[in-house]
Amino acid sequence: MTAPILELRQATKLYGGVPAIEGVDFSLVEGEIHALVGENGAGKSTLTKVMAGVVPLSSGTMLIAGREVVPRTPLEARQLGVAMVFQENSLVPSMTVAQNLFLGQEKFYNRLRGIYIAAQQFLQSLNFDVPPTATVAQLGAAKKQMVEIARAVLHEARVIIFDEPTASLTPEEKKYFFDLVRELKRRGVSVIFISHALEEALLISDRITVLRDGRHVVTDDTANFDRARVIQAMVGRDLSKTLYAERKAHVRPPGERVLTIENLRMAPMVKNNSLSVFAGQVTGVFGLVGSGRTETFKIAAGILKRDFFHGGEIVLRGRPIRYLTPAPAVRDGIAYVTEDRKVEGFFETMSIARNVYMGLLAKLGRRRPLVLAREAEAVGKKWIEALNVRAIGQDVKVVELSGGNQQKIVIAKSLVQEPTLIVFDEPTRGVDVGAIAEIHQLIDRLAEQGNAVVMISSYLPEIMARSDRILVCRQGKVVEEFSAREATEEKIMYAAIH
Amino acid sequence: MIAALRAFGDRVLGRGEAAITVPIFDGALKPNQMLADAEIVGQFDDANDIATDGKTLLVADGEQVVRIGDGGGTEIDRFDRGITALHALPDGGLAVALAGEEVRIVGGPSGGRRWTDVGGTPFHAVNAICSMSDGTLAVTDGSRDNDCAHWTHDLMERGANGRLVFLDRGSGAAREGAQGLEYAFGACALGAETLVSESWRHRLLAIEPQGRRRIVLDRLPVYPSRIVAAADGGFWLTAFAARTQLVEFVLREPAFRRRMMKEIAPEHWIAPRLRSGQSFLEPMQGAHLRTMGVLKPWAPPRSYGLVIRLSSEGTPLYSLHSRVDGVNHGIVAAIEVGGFLYMLAKGPGRLIRLALVDIEKEVAA
Repeated sequence: MTAPILELRQATKLYGGVPAIEGVDFSLVEGEIHALVGENGAGKSTLTKVMAGVVPLSSGTMLIAGREVVPRTPLEARQLGVAMVFQENSLVPSMTVAQNLFLGQEKFYNRLRGIYIAAQQFLQSLNFDVPPTATVAQLGAAKKQMVEIARAVLHEARVIIFDEPTASLTPEEKKYFFDLVRELKRRGVSVIFISHALEEALLISDRITVLRDGRHVVTDDTANFDRARVIQAMVGRDLSKTLYAERKAHVRPPGERVLTIENLRMAPMVKNNSLSVFAGQVTGVFGLVGSGRTETFKIAAGILKRDFFHGGEIVLRGRPIRYLTPAPAVRDGIAYVTEDRKVEGFFETMSIARNVYMGLLAKLGRRRPLVLAREAEAVGKKWIEALNVRAIGQDVKVVELSGGNQQKIVIAKSLVQEPTLIVFDEPTRGVDVGAIAEIHQLIDRLAEQGNAVVMISSYLPEIMARSDRILVCRQGKVVEEFSAREATEEKIMYAAIH
Repeated sequence: MIAALRAFGDRVLGRGEAAITVPIFDGALKPNQMLADAEIVGQFDDANDIATDGKTLLVADGEQVVRIGDGGGTEIDRFDRGITALHALPDGGLAVALAGEEVRIVGGPSGGRRWTDVGGTPFHAVNAICSMSDGTLAVTDGSRDNDCAHWTHDLMERGANGRLVFLDRGSGAAREGAQGLEYAFGACALGAETLVSESWRHRLLAIEPQGRRRIVLDRLPVYPSRIVAAADGGFWLTAFAARTQLVEFVLREPAFRRRMMKEIAPEHWIAPRLRSGQSFLEPMQGAHLRTMGVLKPWAPPRSYGLVIRLSSEGTPLYSLHSRVDGVNHGIVAAIEVGGFLYMLAKGPGRLIRLALVDIEKEVAA
């Protein structure tokens, strides 16, 4: 094997003290297509972001062509020959293809005609059928992808990283995309390819690296892998068993059917999705990124809206519902605990008590036109004790709390509304081990009290340990249901991927 | 006016009553193969109902009532018309519905009583009989327009004139307990209330003696049929077909339906059936699934077999299925006898059974 063009040695990246990747060794040789696979949260994106200069390493070294480098920005990485094509493309939709190609390389005086001619010649040299004068907004997903690739090649990238490049492509577009990648390889460009679609990784790559829990599991030639071996490497974890029971000992029987979703549609994320949620149970919802699980429950909670025409039906305790805003959903007893607590979960500069009280005000609406400081204090104190929030006092700003305690505040803000259907979206993401156990106990307690609990999680051991029934989403709909007794990590992952 | 505008809006936007949606088989209704693996007890040409006197199983097959014993079936009674409902009375004797037009009692203290109408409205599609705690008979009359054999016509005509009727065996009095039901098919006592299956509304109602209704179970993904009490509490609810989006769509298109009923043979209508796969002319709902990156053709079932175990509150606990690739479809009756659950699969004309211990074992696995 030739010398690696890009190498990471003992790469570690910490977010708030929690490692996203830890001691990862990775190498990429010239003209190689290297697939990077792993579950959500395995560290794939972090690893590639380090290479692309989006985030710096906490420790470890990165070498390009044997020379140690520390790219601090994507521009620096690009100058070193590493470019990344993100899942959500970074093109300016209102500009033309040519303008996007030369964005950031403008001269003092730019002649549009000259740019178009240069772009035309360049795109033709790549055999890309994209008109340089077309505005990017008019292009389909595959053509946008081509422009992204062309831009990377134009910047003389020796390494191009693709993050889920085929997620939004049609089968024909995918075929075309694979031809492009092979063409890049022929030109000596090295490609790192992140994909949840294992058959694609097995089809196109020369080598596969599997990451799990932020650690390197295995790197081998693709010829030595089959689907089963990749899945085994992705899910077979021993670390998790120290924190999560492998399987629930007791499965709670279903109670009343609280929520029924029938043929729900929200293009392009939710496609004819149907499911039920029952009282007195924890319904675990597993799926890879883009499987539509979060969007489905956000629609139920009034945060997103389904398709205007033939968007399907949502029935809450026998009553069809269609919320335009979350407020009526809150009043009807639906609570959605967000996966993105920093953006959607709390007001970081407000105190714990005020944040929790905000949840109560959301439920009371017009019935409570005044903010009562004394009531806010009482509510805050009650929930700090109830959820064991570790803080100096209830006047502490939420931003000053640890991730686990912040998550407890987000949960308290919802539970203060006394909901009967609670949707936890990634409830333990970025949460310390102690708080994870407490949040899990809380989830169990809520189900024992007869509430309908939904737990969306990308973490299989969490799904296995907490759920009474498990729904697996793929491509915008529930494709499989397992009872907690029959579920295994392999079965769930298989359903989520194939 | 507002209701009409709303209905128009719903029709345009595909919402509310115009939503072509079908609930999913999940939770307690998650599909399995238990009905497909059931033991076949017997084959019948025209079986419509089953009952038990507590010891043996009785089958209403065409015009005869057959007792099922160890050595096979023995005819114990024969009538001049086909039996559409059968019930063994707790104090002896049988209650039978003949051609759906007459309820007659044979044997026992109230033997000889017969009813052909209630309040001047004749019976037309009597399909289930059960005893209430006070000895009264609760009877479901599916439709005033279509007889039992023409249930598909009633569905396609969106029939809504089924009724629940109470018949007093002592005095011979008869009264309506509820009317305007969208194909009443199955009744069972629940204390003073009567549980009634309303097939075209896909729900189970509890109806008080005064006629007040309470929804026990609704938005079922199937067309429910008869319901019987389980020995250790709760109920067995059978379902003779599964709902599909194609049929739901057709049910919302009156002009198409009228033309289909006029021009096409009933066996080829886009409608649920008790059995399917008999002819290449049968309509199918085209669909596809992506499996391992490959699109594969698939069609929802035209016929289906389902028995649902309900708790005493009417909550589904688990279910027994014969899926699209199975044969035991069109389950119209189930009853417990001697440690077995006997079921009548009208599609293939089979009497099948499963041991209750095996069911419990399978469900617990």
